[in-house]
Amino acid sequence: MNTAVSLILQRIVYSIGTLVLVSVIIFAAVEVLPGDVTARILGREAPIEAREKLRVELGLDRPAVERYFTWARGAVQGDFGMSLSARKPVDEIVFVRLRNTLILAAYAMLLYIPLSIIPALVQAFYPNRLPDRIISTLTILILSTPEFLLSTLLLFGLAVAFPIFPPLSQVSGAANPLEFLYMITLPAVSLAILLAVSGTRLLRESMIDLLDSDFIRMAELKGMSRLRVVLRHALPNALIPWLNATAINFAFMIGGVVVVERVFVFPGFGSLLVDAMQLRDVPLIEASVLIAAFIFIAVNLVADIGAVLLNPKLRT
Amino acid sequence: MAVQTLSERRRPGPLAVFWSAPSSFRIGFVLLAVHILLAVFGPFIAPFPQQQMMVGRPIQGPDLTHWFGTDQLGRDIFSRTLHGGWIVISLSVTGTILGVAIGATIGLACGYTRGWVDEVVMRLVEAILSIPFLILALLTVSMAGPALAGSPFLVIMVVAIIYTPRIARMARAAALDVVMRDYVTAARLRGEATFSVVRRELLPNVMGVLLVEFAVRAGYAPILIGTLGFLGFGMQPPSPEWGLMISEYRNLLTVQPWAVFGPGLMLSTLVIGLNFFTEGLARILGRSPVRNSK
Repeated sequence: MNTAVSLILQRIVYSIGTLVLVSVIIFAAVEVLPGDVTARILGREAPIEAREKLRVELGLDRPAVERYFTWARGAVQGDFGMSLSARKPVDEIVFVRLRNTLILAAYAMLLYIPLSIIPALVQAFYPNRLPDRIISTLTILILSTPEFLLSTLLLFGLAVAFPIFPPLSQVSGAANPLEFLYMITLPAVSLAILLAVSGTRLLRESMIDLLDSDFIRMAELKGMSRLRVVLRHALPNALIPWLNATAINFAFMIGGVVVVERVFVFPGFGSLLVDAMQLRDVPLIEASVLIAAFIFIAVNLVADIGAVLLNPKLRT
Repeated sequence: MAVQTLSERRRPGPLAVFWSAPSSFRIGFVLLAVHILLAVFGPFIAPFPQQQMMVGRPIQGPDLTHWFGTDQLGRDIFSRTLHGGWIVISLSVTGTILGVAIGATIGLACGYTRGWVDEVVMRLVEAILSIPFLILALLTVSMAGPALAGSPFLVIMVVAIIYTPRIARMARAAALDVVMRDYVTAARLRGEATFSVVRRELLPNVMGVLLVEFAVRAGYAPILIGTLGFLGFGMQPPSPEWGLMISEYRNLLTVQPWAVFGPGLMLSTLVIGLNFFTEGLARILGRSPVRNSK
């Protein structure tokens, strides 16, 4: 069989295995770990009858292995049971929030591409000179600023000091899609900047390395302009590692949205997760953590497959 | 260059060593030293007790008595910020040490023994790593239950739990590299006990990797702890932990932005100091730190 195809198949099987293992870990962490789940949800002072009622409702009177298989069978079909706090099916709640977050993520990704490529191009054009140094310092500063602080500062700058954007993303009040996008611009910009800094650093490193190589010298000796050399030769070659980093960045965004959505009160998957954890809504926690892990594994799988397909050694 | 014998060469003093270090190391060292001094002596030089209310008019901007202004309860924000330093630093360091110690033990043991135990443990590590780390942190706090909420012990445990699988993977990779070397084989052939081979041959040779890894992780721990505090899953009021302070003072942004800027500035400079220090340390040790392997 073809090497690339067998490698890809291997990655797919491995990813499915990891996902199954993650589901066991999540289930065990939430339901089997020492300590009474009902006491964790209701508090130790809760009356015995209330705890008994919840125990039956959660199905805790059945053995753990049986409960896991019931849960996993439902999860595969998209049925995660009923939310304890909202009294609605978990999949309904998650669907709306996940859709909101995916729109936010797509918007942020769109901003991420120019935000990470343009500064790196400027740096590659003036290596070790003032523009390069300024951008390098800025990226290090942003990299050292916690997500919650950076998005709070952006909120202060662009919604309080200069009220250009609304401070809260209350998208349910949006009249049309354009207003929706306007409302989520600030969280999208925050996410994009947070992700772009690492992309910029990586792209700069690889482009400056490339600009030192023989084929670039050759192009320069042929009399090609600096701009053409950077755009035609350095950038396309540096984009392959950047693409891989972008996939990892996208996976990291799952964690980043938790903070950014919280700051801008955006009704997305991240704030749903925090709410579920605070309310100790067991079915909702299990579902959302599993979905987060699923997205993470899927994105990494796509990145791996992309790397295999882009690797000229494995092409046939 | 002429051949010099060791005795003739003057031993460089600590100051000379410092000046010959990479500039990032020097900047990081100074920032870090200032932060540690402030963390240790801050509570004594703070002009007001951190919890004392109404030391001034509530919600006023910076002036000569209240450098960062006051909050809605009339507490002095500069004093609170000074009191927060040792909390952030001691929680970060303790949590990271715990995570590195457990992770390194697991990683080295797996790397040395191999076999099915290694296979099982590493699959588990991979699976845990596919839960985004912040979500795993929130899950841990949520599952610990209300009894432990806001305890420094829980925050330390969370940092350790997040770091353990990451360190284990690193330590295992480093161990696999060393295990192949001849001196390890020699030690094993001499009939030394497993524990003694791991401690005397393996550990000293992966120490550099572990040290850099420790510094990288310690540099991220203040952000992790701050994020937990900000989301309401870390330290609880009235603790002056910086992330928690920023979250408490967010709604004062319009009238008293210094309440957020003050602790924010401290947190950022601490992390910048740690990052520069790590980068310099890695360069001195001849290793590049693994960045962004969150």
